[in-house]
Amino acid sequence: MTHIFAVGGGKGGTGKSFISANLGVMLAKQGKKVVLVDLDLGAPNLHTMMGLNNLKTGLNNFLNNSVKDLSLTAVPTKIPNLYIISSIRCSLEVGNLFYAQKQKIIRAISQLPTDYVVLDLGAGTTYNTLDFFLASHQGLSVFTPEPTSIQNTVRFIKAVYLRKLKHILKQHAFPPAVKEVGYESDDGVVRSPLDIVDSVMRRDPARAELLQKELKKLRFKLILNQYRKHMDETLGNKIEKVCNRHFYSQFQFMGNIAYNERVYDSIIARKIFVAKYPYTSTATDFKNLANEMTENNVQAPALKETNAKV
Amino acid sequence: MQKFEELNHYEIFEIPINASAFEIRHAYKEALSIYGDDSPISYSFFTEEESKEILYRVEEAFSTLIDQEKRELYNKMLVREKKIDPASLTKRRQQVPTPLFSSKTPSGAAISKTIIKKRIKDKNLKKAEEAILSKDMISGDDLKQLRKTFEVKIEDLFEVTRISVSILKAIENDDFGTLPPAVYLKNFLKTYAELFEVDPKQIVDGYIKNLNHIKGTS
Repeated sequence: MTHIFAVGGGKGGTGKSFISANLGVMLAKQGKKVVLVDLDLGAPNLHTMMGLNNLKTGLNNFLNNSVKDLSLTAVPTKIPNLYIISSIRCSLEVGNLFYAQKQKIIRAISQLPTDYVVLDLGAGTTYNTLDFFLASHQGLSVFTPEPTSIQNTVRFIKAVYLRKLKHILKQHAFPPAVKEVGYESDDGVVRSPLDIVDSVMRRDPARAELLQKELKKLRFKLILNQYRKHMDETLGNKIEKVCNRHFYSQFQFMGNIAYNERVYDSIIARKIFVAKYPYTSTATDFKNLANEMTENNVQAPALKETNAKV
Repeated sequence: MQKFEELNHYEIFEIPINASAFEIRHAYKEALSIYGDDSPISYSFFTEEESKEILYRVEEAFSTLIDQEKRELYNKMLVREKKIDPASLTKRRQQVPTPLFSSKTPSGAAISKTIIKKRIKDKNLKKAEEAILSKDMISGDDLKQLRKTFEVKIEDLFEVTRISVSILKAIENDDFGTLPPAVYLKNFLKTYAELFEVDPKQIVDGYIKNLNHIKGTS
């Protein structure tokens, strides 16, 4: 069975596509078969990061039923073992994906005949993005050290958390009175998911433990991109600490990806960064990240304990 | 998962109840970098009221724990409310520094000068003194016997007189090859004798006489 990584995070421009592409390359270099899927449907450009243009097939063929098997839409890249499913040829309205189509994509992705799938998600917290994130086995949340980025990442985490909470309430048939809590708001003010979890637990104490257990299955990995030398290197660890303190889910900081001027050059040149500049500290960071991601994969007792809905 | 408002001061900082002042300061600094006014983390996670409330609790916890008196009162309150185990209040054992060299006191702890001098005084063995003084020639072995009757180890003798163990051994063994020049030897013998409160002049004379006798016969 394939193992799915989702790369998300609330803020745009933090390097989600950049990290998806380069993580994909590093995973492929481990000798594993990897498929990159561009699920930033409204603004797809993962193929550009990979230096590809003029793709003949992509997600559009699967969505309009001209191809039944999603794996046939994958296009090989310049890196051996690495394939890409692009959504550049999808319609301009594909950003507003229908529920049935979303479910169809999620189902097809989990059946791809490959070792790893890397989902490149868009910015923001639309249901599509959240559901793709929740469909993964390991969800990576990418942020940069600016307050704006941290703020949006926290918002993204809260949105995923709330979405997961609603899934749980639905799946485990909590009484309607309890379910209501998830949807009500105080005078139109958005409530924190932390409060909502609290009030659900107060209303249905008997199943508080079940809720806790289910929320604990949700695992976030945090990655700090564009790390610069003079800043606090424990920023990521602190965010991990605060998250673990206030949410029931599990958070793990995966490390910093060093800032590098050449990242810009590689994007301008439409070349894969880790392939063009393999001897930079940034490339080493990617190598370590890929190693850590896959080691965790081996250590994880079973896929049951992951974000994916069973 | 406990709510922030239910945490006690130690839990806020995630430190043990017997934490040192250094640990408290360190934890406070760490907490400020997360929950402080200019922290981007606090800014992103909490609303303005929440972060104010949290920061207030952090400040309160620090000002209580860093003040020895306030801290003791607070600990008593926690014990009274059965929130902590009184046993956890006990201070951690201070580490004893390891001595660098133990060669100067080969047989365990050094015995201080005063203890040895006191021991010699208390014994007040006139007999042994008279026995050695009655002799015309005093050998190293006689000195050794004298020392043994007072139950003083050769290492302890070094501690008091600061005459090196090798010289003391040479004196007691009449090992004239290693003995120091006569001037020094006389001085050492004098110190030795004074310690055991026997007449230094007689000891020095008797010892030199014996030494010359040995040299003459060999």
